[in-house]
Amino acid sequence: MNLLRQIFVVSAMNFRSLPQRFWTSMVIVVGLGATVGVLLSMLSMTAGIRQVYTLAGSPGRAIIASLGADNEGQSSLSRDNVQTIMNAPGIARDTDGRPLIDQSVNISIPMLRANGTKGFITLRGFGPKGAKVRYEMQMVAGRIFEPGKRELIVGVGGQKLYQHLAIGEKVILPDGEWPIVGSFRSGDILEGQLIGDSDTLMAATRHPNYNTVILRLASYDSLGELRKSLTTNPALSVHVERHSDWYTKVIDNSTSLFATLAYAIGGIMAIGALFGCLNTMYAAVSARSREIATLRALGFNGFPVAVSVILEAVVLAAAGALIGAAIAWALYDGKQDAFGANVFTLRVTPAMVGLGIVWAVVLALLGGLFPSIRAARIPIVDALRAT
Amino acid sequence: MKYIPLIMAGIWRKPARAILTMLSVMIAFTLFGLTIGMNATFDKVEQNAHNDRLYTNPRFSNNGMPVAIAGQIEKLPGVTRVAYESFIAGYHQDPKNRVFVALLNPDVRKLMPDWPLTPAQWDKIAQNRDGVVISKIQALQWKLKPGDTFTIVAPLFAKADGSTSWTFQVLDVADDIAYMSAGYMMGNFDYLDKARPAASQGRANQFFVQASDPTRTADIAQLIDTNFANSANPTQSITEKAAFDVSNSGLDIAAVDRDIALAGMFMVLFLTANGIARSVRERFAEFAMLKTLGYSDMTVMALVFWEAALPCVTGAILGVGLASGISAILPHLFPPGGGVPLPTMTGIVFVWAGLSAALVALASSALPALRLRQMDIATALSGR
Repeated sequence: MNLLRQIFVVSAMNFRSLPQRFWTSMVIVVGLGATVGVLLSMLSMTAGIRQVYTLAGSPGRAIIASLGADNEGQSSLSRDNVQTIMNAPGIARDTDGRPLIDQSVNISIPMLRANGTKGFITLRGFGPKGAKVRYEMQMVAGRIFEPGKRELIVGVGGQKLYQHLAIGEKVILPDGEWPIVGSFRSGDILEGQLIGDSDTLMAATRHPNYNTVILRLASYDSLGELRKSLTTNPALSVHVERHSDWYTKVIDNSTSLFATLAYAIGGIMAIGALFGCLNTMYAAVSARSREIATLRALGFNGFPVAVSVILEAVVLAAAGALIGAAIAWALYDGKQDAFGANVFTLRVTPAMVGLGIVWAVVLALLGGLFPSIRAARIPIVDALRAT
Repeated sequence: MKYIPLIMAGIWRKPARAILTMLSVMIAFTLFGLTIGMNATFDKVEQNAHNDRLYTNPRFSNNGMPVAIAGQIEKLPGVTRVAYESFIAGYHQDPKNRVFVALLNPDVRKLMPDWPLTPAQWDKIAQNRDGVVISKIQALQWKLKPGDTFTIVAPLFAKADGSTSWTFQVLDVADDIAYMSAGYMMGNFDYLDKARPAASQGRANQFFVQASDPTRTADIAQLIDTNFANSANPTQSITEKAAFDVSNSGLDIAAVDRDIALAGMFMVLFLTANGIARSVRERFAEFAMLKTLGYSDMTVMALVFWEAALPCVTGAILGVGLASGISAILPHLFPPGGGVPLPTMTGIVFVWAGLSAALVALASSALPALRLRQMDIATALSGR
């Protein structure tokens, strides 16, 4: 009988006897389920933050911020700076011939969360072409604000997470109450924000400067031309970056700590689960010792026996990982949360489920290895005699 | 006591199983210790909050408010004292190495007596305009000792001459403050203020306010915000108690910690229950023998309980011990200043760990123990 066939026969027999060892086997399933569940639940947050930023960072756009600023709020650009940027090459133009640039303002204002706690929401100012630069934005109710008027629109994500943001309600700003006149969807970071007219907002909040300029590039390759023109201009001290690259940096800044924690905690749980796996597989081998000895006496090789042990561990671990992933998905996928003044949706993606299964399989290989060696080396005569 | 050898013999029947179970339990309790210990840190911070303090910040802009506002707040009824700070945010050598220096006016010292700075250190800050007292975490992070100089580049904080580089003298190193998990650098308000262009001078980013009646701090916060609502500088005030409560932040980390600890306990419960059930099943006839010899139901059940509890409790003790060790060396392992709150192994953590271990042992031994109580001795003895 060839080796593959032997492996198949022994493993099939092994799996048929699993129900008799149901509860012992469940130790692996529960251990890996808990490990993968915790890992993916924690990663769902970094995945969510990643998603809202990645979607917002179109490679067809560029962002211009003052040198050294690593978030939009820290950047500051004067009206003169913006005028200079407007005349730079490489910027796409609207049908009216004017450049598609959005001189934006970014402030965070206190807002009560839906659960009653005090939080902050990002209030963004759009330049006259803002909505065209952010072409993925779509109004879902009401209308967009009128330039020059004290009006705001709100993203549907923000509406869900904060109180008093329905159309018709008012947001308190320094010079009075601004009504919300519409709501929009964009699928990205904007969806959790309030948006109004930049110049009107600057007057109201006594912001002398814009924060950043976001613009549509004439073509994907125009970035170099634009950057050269702006960074060599002695009147400017700015940083020009593709919008998608800017957000990649923001993502790393805001998620690396949390991702490290998630992997550290997942790692500790994995060690615990590994001991559980070893325990279970040793028990499984000892429960099957007579059966294994019989197989060996019949002429089966030690190798297929060892493989069957590892295979059992892998299948149980993968099942546990799937259950853990399913629980993490059911609990967290699609849930909305806020990180600072940014709203995002927690995500458990297929790639993450894959990661969970890989973790489980690697652990099972480690946890099955020593028991499988023991199985292959069972002294046949003693095992047959044992009661 | 006399049953200890019997219990130990039961456990050591399968040494591999006993040790592996204990190791799993240990790891789960290491995680338990770290997460619940982190919550203990949050609790400690919240409990140590001074009920009579509150913080006032500009509501809409981060470019500060005139320091004259301190005088106006001080005149409000129920306010005893006001201090303020500004800050410089920049980087050291590489833009990735972000540094934040708080610059305090002299009155902060009177309002924050619980900060670990000694009178001598406060004096040094007051006497050296470009000096900073730094916390141990920051000293470790930047490898600084008293007498060193430290330069940061802060593009958004230009001096009157246009320069954006700021050099500090390290005056001394002080203990860390639990709620400043990334450590701190504290300097003199005048250093930034007097070096800035005239138009930016005399502005503070945060005011520290002390209320005369600790039960009315929230009202004072409200009063301040109402008072400035229609002024050129609207404010946003929060009591120290509310500011230090983690459940008030968008993400309730304390709840996340509890969930993680629970997941670990669930894993351990399953594992222990399984081990003890298997052990009892294998030795069913032996327990029948014990009963035949006159051991009472209660005694036999207690034996099973202790057989489950010993590895559990040992694992819990080792695990929490390991967690204590890890939290002691954590600042050396991770790049310090990362902002992860360090777990504190308070008595509460040990009590919770002990209770959880006992509960796991009780729950996992309950079914096997009941089976032993209801067993038919004759059948069990005959091995059927």
